Amino acid sequence: MSESEIFFLDSEKSVSYKTLLADLNSAKSFSLYLKTDSIYDCFLQILIATLSEKEIVLLDSDFTESEIESLTNLQNGEYSEMKIARSYDDLKSVDELVLRLDNIKNAKITFFTSGTTGRPKKVSHTLQSITRFTKRKSQHSLDIWGFAYNPTHIAGVQVFFQALLNKNKIVRLFGLSIDEIFGVIEKEKITHISATPTFYRMLIWQNVSFDFVKRITSGGEKFDKKTSTLLAKIFPNAKITNVYASTEVGTLFASQDDVFVVRDEVKNLVKIVDNELLLHESLLGQTADLSLMGQWYRSGDLVEVVAENPLSIKFVARQGEMINVGGYKVNPSEVEDAILSLTPVSQVRVFGKKNSVLGNVICAEVVAKSLDEKSIRDYLKTRLQEFKIPRIIKFVEDIKLTRTGKTSRK
Amino acid sequence: MENLLSIINTILENRGRKKCDSISPETDLKRDLGFDSFDLAEFTVRIEVEYDVDVFEDGIVYTIGDILDRISV
Repeated sequence: MSESEIFFLDSEKSVSYKTLLADLNSAKSFSLYLKTDSIYDCFLQILIATLSEKEIVLLDSDFTESEIESLTNLQNGEYSEMKIARSYDDLKSVDELVLRLDNIKNAKITFFTSGTTGRPKKVSHTLQSITRFTKRKSQHSLDIWGFAYNPTHIAGVQVFFQALLNKNKIVRLFGLSIDEIFGVIEKEKITHISATPTFYRMLIWQNVSFDFVKRITSGGEKFDKKTSTLLAKIFPNAKITNVYASTEVGTLFASQDDVFVVRDEVKNLVKIVDNELLLHESLLGQTADLSLMGQWYRSGDLVEVVAENPLSIKFVARQGEMINVGGYKVNPSEVEDAILSLTPVSQVRVFGKKNSVLGNVICAEVVAKSLDEKSIRDYLKTRLQEFKIPRIIKFVEDIKLTRTGKTSRK
Repeated sequence: MENLLSIINTILENRGRKKCDSISPETDLKRDLGFDSFDLAEFTVRIEVEYDVDVFEDGIVYTIGDILDRISV
């Protein structure tokens, strides 16, 4: 590969591998607590810290100053002054960069979970745990990555290392509008995209198709059949993979559909108690913020065992998300899946609204072209028990997403 | 009253039941309208949206009259 090849591209800038090397060689320090709006700056600082075998803490660019104060225990914006000196020798080539990264032992990248349930939790990962699923074969040398995740989240950092270690080009999709995303995929002939189901759901309504995309990876929330079927139309030649991943463990399982077969290496490190997936502490990043049950971490993910040998599981719901309606438990994902399977529906959010009679009332917000409430109800009656059918259905223009690009349930 | 009638009919229609022509303060939610607890819950949510009052907050309501009392407070 030539060093003049592009490393990172977005609408404002294009950075070659040569420039990346020059920036790494001229760097004096990095920010221990990194908060930046620039994706390239984020990549650069992560690399300076990693090559220096030090810790870097990634802060979401939309954290408020008071959130940061409470998470870092530092006052008055002190966190932004905390610079750590670089401690590595100049790099001569990209190959040398990759080689050095392969031998890094002590670097630590610290993330905050998106905190859909309470205060964000701090979790540190080594480069090894982040790159656990990274693929390194010559066939990947020409991959072009569509970068769709927030760069301060673990999924974004995983994609970054997957691309960098294979010396690929990374093209920004994160934060772009749907039209821009399609324009960039076409223009740059992107071959690989990794994103949340919510990201893909924004795309599947367009009448376009890209035959050069080879691989689509989805993770971070439950993937539904409809999204997967429609994605296959837009990306007819892509292998579509669904991964189970979280800030706490990184990527753990991958599957071609919604059934995950637990690999032999981790077979003894997972168990299922009361339908909840428990993960052995050795799978976790380093953290003081998570409470363990002995050596086991309660993932909060409710699963269904599809087969015992080999252990095959299906994700059903998030524990805290079950909505109690007059003593009945409603799984909002199940209701969302049912509504989503109606053709005109592009996005849906199901949530419980506090109510003095039943505890909660099931409500739904729906984004749909040409559909009325009655047809949704008539259809749901054929799919769901009466108590699961939303009592209040509201049509909206778009649906609020969390920081990580997942559908909010609040 | 008109407004309450239209909310009631939305609920009845959503469950595929016959609309109701008129209500009075004496109309009993359970006996006359056939509301179960799910219907009552939906009713309170819809009233709350319109009037910003949780009619069940201070105890059970039985009739349209009870609701009128609460929302006019």
